[in-house]
Amino acid sequence: MAARVRAPGFYRASVLMVLGVALSAGLTWVVRMSTGHSTFHHYLSGDAILTVSLIAVPLLFLIGIGGFDYWFYWAAGRPTRPEDHSGHGARSWKDYFRVNTDHKVIGIQYTVTSFFFLLVGGLIAMLMRAQLAQPGAQFVDANTFNGLFSVHATLLIFLFVIPVFAGLANFVLPLMIGAPDMAFPRLNALSYWLLPVAGFMMLGSFFAPGGAFADGWTAYAPLSTNMPIGQTFFSVGVQFAGASSVMTALNFLVTIITMRAPGMSFFRMPLLVWANFATSLLVVIATPFIAASQFFVLLDRALGFNFFNAGHGGDVLMYQHVFWFYSHPAVYIMMLPGFGIISEIIAVKSRKPIFGYRMMAFSLLAIVGLGFTVWAHHMFTSGMAAWIRIPMAITTAIIAIPTGIKIFSWLATLWRGVLHLDTPMLFALGFLTTFTLGGISGVMLAMVPFDIHVSSTYFIVAHIHYVLFGGSLMTIFAGVYYWFPKMTGRMYDERLGKWHFWSTFVFFNLTFGPMHILGMQGMPRRVATYAAKFADMNLFISIASFGLGLSTLIFLYNIVTSWRGGPISIANPWRGMTLEWQVTSPPPIFNFDRVPTVVGGPYEYGVPGAVHGILAPTPATVGAGSRLAGAQRE
Amino acid sequence: MEAAGVAHPAAHEEQHGPPPANRSSRVEPQLLGMLLFIISEVMIFGAFFTAYFFIRVSSGDPWPAPGTTLPVAVAGVNTAVLWSSSLTMHWAQTSIKRGNRFGLKAGILTTFLLGFTFLFVQINEYANIGFAPQDHAQQTIFYSLTGLHGCHVFIGLLLLLFVTIRSFRGHYSPEEHRGVEVPGIYWHFVDVMWLIVYSTVYIL
Repeated sequence: MAARVRAPGFYRASVLMVLGVALSAGLTWVVRMSTGHSTFHHYLSGDAILTVSLIAVPLLFLIGIGGFDYWFYWAAGRPTRPEDHSGHGARSWKDYFRVNTDHKVIGIQYTVTSFFFLLVGGLIAMLMRAQLAQPGAQFVDANTFNGLFSVHATLLIFLFVIPVFAGLANFVLPLMIGAPDMAFPRLNALSYWLLPVAGFMMLGSFFAPGGAFADGWTAYAPLSTNMPIGQTFFSVGVQFAGASSVMTALNFLVTIITMRAPGMSFFRMPLLVWANFATSLLVVIATPFIAASQFFVLLDRALGFNFFNAGHGGDVLMYQHVFWFYSHPAVYIMMLPGFGIISEIIAVKSRKPIFGYRMMAFSLLAIVGLGFTVWAHHMFTSGMAAWIRIPMAITTAIIAIPTGIKIFSWLATLWRGVLHLDTPMLFALGFLTTFTLGGISGVMLAMVPFDIHVSSTYFIVAHIHYVLFGGSLMTIFAGVYYWFPKMTGRMYDERLGKWHFWSTFVFFNLTFGPMHILGMQGMPRRVATYAAKFADMNLFISIASFGLGLSTLIFLYNIVTSWRGGPISIANPWRGMTLEWQVTSPPPIFNFDRVPTVVGGPYEYGVPGAVHGILAPTPATVGAGSRLAGAQRE
Repeated sequence: MEAAGVAHPAAHEEQHGPPPANRSSRVEPQLLGMLLFIISEVMIFGAFFTAYFFIRVSSGDPWPAPGTTLPVAVAGVNTAVLWSSSLTMHWAQTSIKRGNRFGLKAGILTTFLLGFTFLFVQINEYANIGFAPQDHAQQTIFYSLTGLHGCHVFIGLLLLLFVTIRSFRGHYSPEEHRGVEVPGIYWHFVDVMWLIVYSTVYIL
């Protein structure tokens, strides 16, 4: 019993979480008493205890699960346990529920957790479409509906799209650059465990008194400062998700800069590595802004600060500036890794070198730079100084150029290639179509008069789903199918994969395509009911969206059955040149017996005699091997 | 700070461990990690300064608000305290590089105490300043910027506490002193950031 409490794991975590609630209640009581809240009722305010608990309990959970054990020993100057890799690699499914420092285990933990939240977010979307099938309330009241779309967006942005890319990259990125692991394996493990914390907090807001936060994922002040306590779940949850993002991004940057294999210069890196390099820069620079915006909201709500209290000199427009200074770069955080995935797949599947490799890398960096200059295009109707709209419209139009470079590079790569139209490639081509459509509506929205016309209508809903579903999610599906054999050692069912693609592609367009028209006709977004004239089209959209929801079940079935009993995959089923395909599937526990040497570019398909990396044979003894590796390094 | 498993291949020579990772950059991973983290920290201060800009500059109200005074002189002395702690931090760092253990211990302890003094004076300032963050947005932003910096001093002090404990327990050597160097960089960052906060909030 006592041993189970001492050992890191869920048992210790749950004991500490109960303690955390008690601690929060005690702390609130002491503080409120010392600052002079007079009646007993006020000493124990439910809202105050809940707010403090939301911060304290997750931290104690992380301590309980064992995320900090090593650092506690280190901080106290006690002998740290030598890194014996007892926590490395997964031998059974139970190992995925423990703190593990292996980047491959963390990659799968990340990906599976994110897909769990995709399913939850998707189910919420189904509820919303059921509500919107007919005008007038059907299933839920207006306030619950507001909570549904807010949690839907929050989960899919912060708990699915952003972390699933981090998960896929966590698995393949160290392999691609020939590193044995990430630079900071323990930080990597901690960043994963922050994720379920944030996710369950956001979901938990449905059980809060007053319902879930109901002001969208943007949580504009002063609406958010006047929400019931459910809003605090968002404000605190975003801090945990953001901290997780920053930790992972830091880890990626340090790994990419300091741990590349010999010969792997920056311009020999696969474009997925480039894409994650660019994304990580964005995360490290931009994420503190959303953290700050939610600190402001939290301080206003919990301690009565006046950031957004206009009666006391606060400035509500400031919230939007700070929020969008993160959240516009965030759309590139949600897209650039997908660009990387598509570059990998299109080069391999058309058996051609990627067209304009350097321009692909530079356009990523251009997007990083320009991404910070366009935030106020979300605020054209906010009442800010009108002149700011002009430069923002221009920079928004300009940022389409590097994105266009990438689209044309992929098209040129496909040109006269030997196309292998299997599932990953189908998703990549589907991505090209839908993302281009989303990009075009994005350029339309950059134009101030048009944006004013369709602001807060279904046109915006259509645009964001064309870039995030048709864009990001298509690349995620492509990536999951592409690396599935590498991650699991088994092959997925190709026939089901194709079914999945075609049903997703068709129902996606049937669902979100008509929303453009609805928006142009003036149907507002974020409403639980609507005018009768929109009824037919909404019914159509709802039916199509249920088809889209069902198509996900094909994917789920395919992945689960293939993982359990699919045919064993060979090491390199796609004949890829990048390093992750040169090791077994799944990769050995330490990736490489010896660090490989890179001698050429990553995409020299169809070039006679081209080699990307050389894997040296296993050395006879470890000592001799490290000497050899040392000699080879220069 | 955090030594990656790959940094100490000697620790698991008996078993089949990972190959030592290739070092593709001369920069230490721990150092680079801290520098990137500081970029993040600068940005969070940037967000708070954005709020400061909107509340103080955009609104055009007089600063400090009529009827309130900011203790510029006390905070100025406090600035000197914090800046001298940067010097003692540097002393500790150069000492351990030369193998002077006494210098390390004395330097790091002095740094810790100076930092602690700064935080103590800051909290006293809050207690005696005569206005609360609930009064007006100007007071809100005063408390937020100095409080955000105070939190960073607190985190810095935690790191310094770890370094102090480890120094007195005999860790660190001229060859292996990243554990002093990396928190040191953070401490210098906290000091530089204070100068910006002090000059914008108190002086300008």
